[in-house]
Amino acid sequence: MDGKILVITSGKGGVGKTTATSSIGAALAMQGNRVAVIDMDIGLRNLDVIMGLENRIVFNIVDVVNNRCKISQAAIKDRRIDNLFLIPASQSDNKDVLTTKGVKRVAKMLKKEFDYIIMDSPAGIERGFENSVVSADEAIVICTPDVSAVRDADRVIGLLYSKSITPKLLINRIEPARVAKGEMLSHEDVLDVLSIELAGLVPLDEYVLTASNMGLPLVLQKESKAGLAFTRIARRLNGETDLPIEVPTHKTGMWNTISKKFGFTK
Amino acid sequence: MLSKLIKMFTSQNKESSKSQAKKRLQFALIYDKLEINDNTLKDLQNDIIQVISRYFEIDRDALSLEIQRGEETSALVFNTPILQIKRR
Repeated sequence: MDGKILVITSGKGGVGKTTATSSIGAALAMQGNRVAVIDMDIGLRNLDVIMGLENRIVFNIVDVVNNRCKISQAAIKDRRIDNLFLIPASQSDNKDVLTTKGVKRVAKMLKKEFDYIIMDSPAGIERGFENSVVSADEAIVICTPDVSAVRDADRVIGLLYSKSITPKLLINRIEPARVAKGEMLSHEDVLDVLSIELAGLVPLDEYVLTASNMGLPLVLQKESKAGLAFTRIARRLNGETDLPIEVPTHKTGMWNTISKKFGFTK
Repeated sequence: MLSKLIKMFTSQNKESSKSQAKKRLQFALIYDKLEINDNTLKDLQNDIIQVISRYFEIDRDALSLEIQRGEETSALVFNTPILQIKRR
């Protein structure tokens, strides 16, 4: 059976696409799938360094699409997680080097070899985005709970719809304490505004930075709340559709609990 | 503790920043969707001219096509002087 192509995208940059791609990819591999994660951000590669595989790059996705090497030569095997492979972006080309036709052809071959192909799309709505979504079976749009990220997400969601893809939303960097105080949009607020199905909710987590500092997979950090959230998202993608979406919570002090009971906090 | 207590009672009536964010977003998205880019408008203008030209002779240089935004509704306004009716 052919594998599935999942594209991870966003309107605004810096909302956590690369972290999400590497984490969901790693989690899917740990759940027994053969997974390729592909960095489609040509000219600005990052997925390799987040995954700690930057020293092992020989070929890249541009080489594959332009027939300069085979998929198996470009796919770097992660030594910590079985069945996880990275195909990095090219750093020297510009983003116009890939054609949608070329990407489509390679996508077809990738689907024969992997259960899941996860594409880390560049932010925004230009050429790189087109190339990432051209063969996508599913899409996850990432946003954070702030006005600019939500507005830009709406634009990308509209574009995906126009390409007959029904995306799901992943809200990243939720700070439950601030949501409780009314300082941050809750996931319900975001969903009211965007009216889209949810892929999952990921809390703000210190481990994300430290794991990326060391190039370690977030989902292997047992105490990482974000890592756990990504693992659950991957399980839902992988067929456990009735696994409930966990809403990030914060430890409430006694005072908070009392005031909530009396309806003081909004 | 006391300041927290005071703040809690006083902030009751003040709108939280997140509900402001939500309202602003909802309006922004509605307006974003009403925006038409220049190319679309130009294509539309050409199409309208083609259709009208079947029935009227119009002054192509004097016509205008614009979107007028009101408080609650937006209107597409096409204005053209008629030079002559085409007899058919």
